[in-house]
Amino acid sequence: MYDFMFVIFATFALVGGLLMVFHPSIVHSAFALVASLFGVAGLYWTLGADFLGVTQVVLYVSGVTVLLLFAVMLSDKTLGAVSILRCAAMGLVIGPLAMALMVTYRAIDGMVGTEGAALPDPAPTTPAIGDLLLQPEGYLVPFEVASVLLLIVLVGAVTLARPMADRQVSRKTIADRADAEARGDEGASAPQGEGA
Amino acid sequence: MIPLEHYLYLSGVVFTLGLCGVMMRRNIIMMLMGIEIMLNAANLALVAFNKYMPPGPDGTVPMDGQVFVFFTIAIAAAEVAVALAIAVALFRRLDTVNVDDVANLRW
Repeated sequence: MYDFMFVIFATFALVGGLLMVFHPSIVHSAFALVASLFGVAGLYWTLGADFLGVTQVVLYVSGVTVLLLFAVMLSDKTLGAVSILRCAAMGLVIGPLAMALMVTYRAIDGMVGTEGAALPDPAPTTPAIGDLLLQPEGYLVPFEVASVLLLIVLVGAVTLARPMADRQVSRKTIADRADAEARGDEGASAPQGEGA
Repeated sequence: MIPLEHYLYLSGVVFTLGLCGVMMRRNIIMMLMGIEIMLNAANLALVAFNKYMPPGPDGTVPMDGQVFVFFTIAIAAAEVAVALAIAVALFRRLDTVNVDDVANLRW
């Protein structure tokens, strides 16, 4: 049974990855990436890492992919060639399919529970992970460093992607400076390193 | 029970796919997706190794591999947030997301 699940989720991961790399349309690539990440989440489940599988779905399959799709929409001029309607239809097919797969997995898991020793340990991993993350002899310091890193990233991403107004000011400054230099005015080029 | 090697083969193949994506595609967002796939392949190998690790002396199941994966996921999220901010800023300034158009810093 677990062999069967392994094959299914491995196929998801592999075919999703292949499609992502070779599909010409970037939006379709992003959806293929969703399939691949979901396959990896399923593989975590077959390995007995239940909390990690759910984290994968919540963080990667929804969070990171939505971020990627937003970036695609903000930056791809050829997006009009792809029908958003078809993408939505694809999502409507894939979403329930993935849900059904998860439910089937749990159902079959319950049915063949009598085989016992051959199955992965069904014990929940969440308490053990929480203990390890929050104990000083575990991974408390890396955990805190990671939270500081995320704060830095939050600020950095907002700074990098800040609105157009700031950039227009800096462009104007550069244009003024260029004009002044063309007129032979030395003093106007003095303030260096601002607004670049 | 699936042997550890199967997970490692799969992880290797998925990693190679991600590497192909990074090398072949010139769109910066596609390259990011390739990096995500590669990170996932590495995570899969970590979880597989964790699963096949022998239990500790007092019979506890080791969880270190899974905790490593949590850190990897956090850092991947940070990476993708900054990289996408750069991609959006790049598109606003230079009207392109093709990395070959942004080769000013290449020696």
